[in-house]
Amino acid sequence: MTAGTRTLQPADGEGLDVDRVVAALGRRFTVESGSRRAVRRTHVDTFDRRLLAAGLALEHDVTARQEALVLTRADGPGASATATGLRWPAFPDALPEGVLRQTVAAPAGIRALTALGQEKRRLQLLELRNADDKVVVRVELDEPDEGAPARPPTVTVRELRGYADEAARAVKALVATGLRPAPDQVAVDDDQGRTPVADRRQPAHVLLAAALGGFATAMDDNLPGLLDDVDTEFLHDFRVAVRRTRATLKIGRPALPHPMRSEWEPAFKWLGDLTTPVRDLDVYELELPTMGGWLVAADEADLAAFATHLRRRRTAVRRALVRGLRSQRYRRLRADWDLALDRLGDEARDSGLTAGELADQAIRRAARRVVRGGRSVTADSPATDLHDLRKRCKELRYALEVFAPVVDTTMRKKVVGDLKDLQDVLGRFQDTEVQRRALRSFAEEMMADGTPAEAVLAMGELIGHLDSEQDRARAEFDTAFGTFARPAGVQRLLHLGGHR
Amino acid sequence: MRVIASYNIKGGVGKTTTAVNLAYLAAREGSRTLLWDLDPQAAATFLFRVRPRVKGGSRGLVTRRRPVEDAVKATDFDNLDLLPADFSYRNMDLDLDDTKRRTRRLSQLLKELAPDYDTVFLDCPPSVSLVSENVLWASDTLLVPLIPATLSLRTYDQLTRFVADAEGNRPDVVAFFSMADRRKRLHRDVIEAIPRDRGRVANTVVPSLSLIEQMAERRAPVPAFAPTSRAARCYEQLWAEVRER
Repeated sequence: MTAGTRTLQPADGEGLDVDRVVAALGRRFTVESGSRRAVRRTHVDTFDRRLLAAGLALEHDVTARQEALVLTRADGPGASATATGLRWPAFPDALPEGVLRQTVAAPAGIRALTALGQEKRRLQLLELRNADDKVVVRVELDEPDEGAPARPPTVTVRELRGYADEAARAVKALVATGLRPAPDQVAVDDDQGRTPVADRRQPAHVLLAAALGGFATAMDDNLPGLLDDVDTEFLHDFRVAVRRTRATLKIGRPALPHPMRSEWEPAFKWLGDLTTPVRDLDVYELELPTMGGWLVAADEADLAAFATHLRRRRTAVRRALVRGLRSQRYRRLRADWDLALDRLGDEARDSGLTAGELADQAIRRAARRVVRGGRSVTADSPATDLHDLRKRCKELRYALEVFAPVVDTTMRKKVVGDLKDLQDVLGRFQDTEVQRRALRSFAEEMMADGTPAEAVLAMGELIGHLDSEQDRARAEFDTAFGTFARPAGVQRLLHLGGHR
Repeated sequence: MRVIASYNIKGGVGKTTTAVNLAYLAAREGSRTLLWDLDPQAAATFLFRVRPRVKGGSRGLVTRRRPVEDAVKATDFDNLDLLPADFSYRNMDLDLDDTKRRTRRLSQLLKELAPDYDTVFLDCPPSVSLVSENVLWASDTLLVPLIPATLSLRTYDQLTRFVADAEGNRPDVVAFFSMADRRKRLHRDVIEAIPRDRGRVANTVVPSLSLIEQMAERRAPVPAFAPTSRAARCYEQLWAEVRER
């Protein structure tokens, strides 16, 4: 197996002298040259670059004779696999079984892999053999195809396990021909998740306009994938951007002009509502394999009718969603929203609030509402009280995200950590509540359609499982809220602003 | 990580060719595969053109004075590595005898390699010894090549008793007929009789073919140098059976 790679390239602007490379290596090894192949290389990653963030690079190479996937990793040996007829976008489970698929599937999760770019290259593989005629090093020569936009040629030395000295000798021989180490092509994306810093004294509306502009861009970025139904995460990310927009409009009210409340809050509520039915059904489809694992008396296969029912419903509601997103109403909403954001950024008549002041005000208000709401929950409180508290927690979370550039980063991370645990418990409680009700209504619809009894019985078992799961979440609530609302935690929240 | 041992008490039944060909096929499918040549004759090591030399020898490995991963060598094939044998392996029994938990030592060494491999093949020496006890402890599947002859069946019975009496881990035993010659009446009779009499015998029968003997000349697995041959197809069928168990 490959133990590591070293990539070299000629000095700036120079081409690769293949004969010179082969001659230099031939002085130390027996060189077996493979034929030169034209390759159409597609660079593949998820839309949100999850592979790059994990230090991986996936390439799909198609030659006249074969297709191959090559995975390179920043921190160790890569993997390769032969492929047939791969088309992008594709989910990780479309990749050939094996290590490459396992390595890609973990960071990609439920996102589809998409083609990010294509180039034509010419590849040639050299096998370097020792005196026993054993391959001890592999060297790949990679040059741009004539006429193609030129990424410089590279020479990659692939060390084979147990033959490190031989690989080092090959690199030395290549460096002697004038080749130099190439800049890293795969690097862990360090910028992921880093919070930008902003001035607390800047007008609040400027910070809000920047945040809202970012959410609008996220909506635009996810729209094509959503319309093409590439994977469920495009809709999910689109909805997150809409939800964040709505939350920002709400928490930013003291600093925003009136039309933002009267005109735009209802507009984004419409957009959110439009996307809800499909997402609700996506959640069931995604959870079906997990749900199958809950069954004890029934068989996983009994859920097949439920899966068919979900797909049929999803096709119908997706049609309405696509119609809505292609409508003039949506197009006008997006165009007018851009104009509104431009005006907001240039607003001469501002509220006088600075970003720091609004952050402190909004976070304190949202935190107090969570603490008050949580304290009023008793053993007899109805499920709606916990749902209400969950919404307050979300508002606080959004406030912490929107104002992240103007609050203390370390403190904020601690607060988010506490809040996350509480949100997890409330989320599980509310999700099971909604799922139970939905499953009951799905089962009624399916019975009316003449679905076999096994499917309905299996769904009954799922409802039973959700019941106990909800009880478990309810039992964990007191501890989770107690941890969140402990004096030190609340003090930290109320004094989150101030100096970074 | 799944550990498959190619094992028989008898020698010359096709253990090494089985281990080499199936390891190659597993690797060809993308499984990260290691073949550990445990036989001091180092035939598998020779077939992969690797030098039969292990720094620190058997004692160095068994006593962990030398990290096991340092002894691993890549073969010429993607996803397939080899832990070579050298002549010091003839003393592995004695070396194991000097260690604590002497029947589990190979299993412990393999655990250190678990993050790197999905499938491990053990090419075992023909004997009943402390090495064999270690092999039983470390393996999930014991793949037993049998020449279709009465004495082979007797050996197979001894082997199944050995596994049944073993303390601790008892691997799944899968026998198959190797070096079968259908022109011989005895071979035909034994092949037809055994599934009724004995435990788990694979459906695949690997015939005696000169192409398999050529592996030593070509120094490569059959499916690598003769991918469309009958011999390659037989090993593919055998691997499909073993993989699914």
